[in-house]
Amino acid sequence: MSLDITTTETTDKPWLISPLARMILQRLVAAVVVLFVVTILIFAFIHAAPGGPEQAIGGREATPELLESIREENHLNDPLWQQYTTFVTNLLHGDLGTSYTRREPVSTSIATAAGVTLPLLLATWVLSTVIGGALGLYTARRQGSRADRAVIGFTVVGASSPVFATGVLLSYVFGVKLGWLPTLGSGDGGMDTVKHLILPVLTTTIVLMASTTRFARVRFGQVLEEDQVTFARSRGLSSRYIVKTVVLKNSGVQMITLAGAVLVAMTGGLVVVEQVYGLQGIGTLLITGITMRDIPIVQGVTLVIALMVVVINLVVDVLCFVIDPRLRKGLEATS
Amino acid sequence: MTDASALTGGRITPWRRSARRLKLPVAVGISVLFMALAVICVIAPFVAPHDPTFIDPTKSFLGPSLDHPLGTDQLGRDIVSRIIAGARTAVLAPLALAAGAVLLSTVLAVLAGYTGGRIDAVIGRANDILYSIPSLTVAIVIVGVVGGGFTLSIAVLMVFGLPGNIRLLRAAVLERVNLPYIEAAKMSGLSTPRILLTQLVPAISPLIVTSFFLQVTFAIVELSSLSFLGLGVAPGSPDWGLMLAENRAALSSNVWAAAGPALCLVALAVSSNLIGDWLYTRYEKAGRSR
Repeated sequence: MSLDITTTETTDKPWLISPLARMILQRLVAAVVVLFVVTILIFAFIHAAPGGPEQAIGGREATPELLESIREENHLNDPLWQQYTTFVTNLLHGDLGTSYTRREPVSTSIATAAGVTLPLLLATWVLSTVIGGALGLYTARRQGSRADRAVIGFTVVGASSPVFATGVLLSYVFGVKLGWLPTLGSGDGGMDTVKHLILPVLTTTIVLMASTTRFARVRFGQVLEEDQVTFARSRGLSSRYIVKTVVLKNSGVQMITLAGAVLVAMTGGLVVVEQVYGLQGIGTLLITGITMRDIPIVQGVTLVIALMVVVINLVVDVLCFVIDPRLRKGLEATS
Repeated sequence: MTDASALTGGRITPWRRSARRLKLPVAVGISVLFMALAVICVIAPFVAPHDPTFIDPTKSFLGPSLDHPLGTDQLGRDIVSRIIAGARTAVLAPLALAAGAVLLSTVLAVLAGYTGGRIDAVIGRANDILYSIPSLTVAIVIVGVVGGGFTLSIAVLMVFGLPGNIRLLRAAVLERVNLPYIEAAKMSGLSTPRILLTQLVPAISPLIVTSFFLQVTFAIVELSSLSFLGLGVAPGSPDWGLMLAENRAALSSNVWAAAGPALCLVALAVSSNLIGDWLYTRYEKAGRSR
C-alpha cells in the first residue's frame, strides 16, 4: 500500500521520487560506512588482543609446531590488511567463514542460534510496542490520575533496572518460589520451548515496555494538547474518533521510530537475557565465541547484528518519509 | 483538626514545610538519601560487619541471620559486607564514566555548535556513525576479546555514551549562539574561549548536569551488564553485577545472595534516574517561564 502512494504521486510530479531515492541512497552509503567501521573496529581489537585463537583450537597440550601449523592453516600469519581484505572479499561472496571450534560454517551456527533468538525477539518486539503504545495512550488521556502515576512509577523503575536484575528476580518468583515456569535452557521443542521462552520474553518486555510506555505517553500527550484536538472536541466528535484519526495519525512517525528503536535496543539486551536463562541463541553464540577466541564466529555475529541495526534504521527512515507528507515536503525543500 | 490543616490535607510539620518549599518530591528525597548512603559506603568500607573476602566453606549459603543479615554466598562470604565493598565500583565507575562522557560531549558540542561549518560537519558525521553502532554488542566484543579489564569497559562505554549527549548539547548550543547577549559579548571584544566559558557554557549548564545524571543511569546498567557477563571486573572481586552472576544458580538456597545486589543496583539506577528527571523538569519549567 505504501508503494502506491509514491508511485501515484510520481506520475503527476516526476521529480518527486528523486529526493526520496536520493535520501535512500545517502542512507545506504552511510550504512555501508557504519558496517565498515564496525568490522574494522572488531577486527583490530581481535587481532590486538593477547592470546591467539590457535590455543583454543589446538587445546592445552598443543605443541608449538602444532600451534604454528594451525596459524598457517587459518592464515593467521598473514599481514593484518591481507586478512581483512580476505575477510571482506569472502563476505561479499556471502561467505562468513568457518568456525574454529564448531567445525561448521558460521552461517550455519548463526542460523541455528537464530531459531532460538528470533521468536524471543519478535514476541518481545510486538508485545513491548503494542502494550507500551496502549498504556501510553491510556495514561496520556488520564494524566495525573492514580493509574497514570502508578504507570509512571513502573516506567522509572523498569527503564533503569538492568535486564539481568529483572531476570533474576523474575526467575526467583516464577521459577523457584511458585515453580510455574522453567528458568534454564531452550526446551525440547513444541510446547516445552514455548514454556521456556515465557520468562525471557516477560523479562525483556518489562524492561522495554517501560521505555515504550514513557515515550508513547509523552508523544500522545503532546498531540492531545494540540489545537486540532480541541477543535475536534468542540465539533462534538467522539473520543474514539479523535484518537483514531487525529492522535494516532499524528503520532505515526514517532511510533514507527519507537518500534525501530526497540528492536535496536534489544540487540544489546539479548546477549544478557540469553545468558540469564541459558538460551542457546545468538547472544550465547557471541559470548562462547569470545571466550573460545573463535574469531569467525565473533566477526560473523557482530556483523549480522550491526547489519540488522543498520537495516532497521534505514527501514524506519524510509517508512517515516512514506507515511508523513510533511517530511516529504521538507525533503523537496532541501533538495 | 483545625480548618486550615483540613484544607491542606493534614498536619504540616516544619520539616515537611521546608521540603515543600524546596519542591522536593518524596521519591527524589529518598533517591538523594540512597545516593548519600552509597557514597558513605564508598568513603568508609570499614562499616562492613565482616571481611568481604573472608572465605569460610562451612558457612556456605547460610540464610539471613543476625550475624549475616543477608546470609552468605557459596564460599561463605558475608553478602552485606560484599555489597558494601561493591559500592565502590558500583558508584565510582558510573560517575567517572558519566563525567568523562559528558565533559567530552560538552567540549565537542560547543566546538561544533559555536564554530559551525566544516568542524560541525565532521563532528556531526562521526557522531551519526557512532550513533548507529549497536553499542552494547560492540562493547561486549571489544572488552571480551581483549580479555576484560574494568578501565577498558569504562573507556569503551564512555565513547559510546558520546553521540546522544553531543546531539542534545549541540542543539542547546545552537539555540543560544545567535542570541543578542552572545553577539554583545563578541562586540565587546571578549576572546572566544572567554565567551565560551563565561557566557555559553553556563547557559547550558543545567542541561549538562541533567545529561550527567541520565548518563550515570545508563552507565550503571551497562557496566553492571558487562560485569554480569564476566567481562568487567576481575573474577572474585565484590561487584554487584558479578555477585548476581555468581549467585543466581543458588536462588533456592539463599535468594538474598542474588536479590541483595540486584535490588541495590535497581535502587541506585532508579535514584540517579529520578534525580536526573527531576532536574530536567525543573530546567524545562525554568526555561518556559523565562
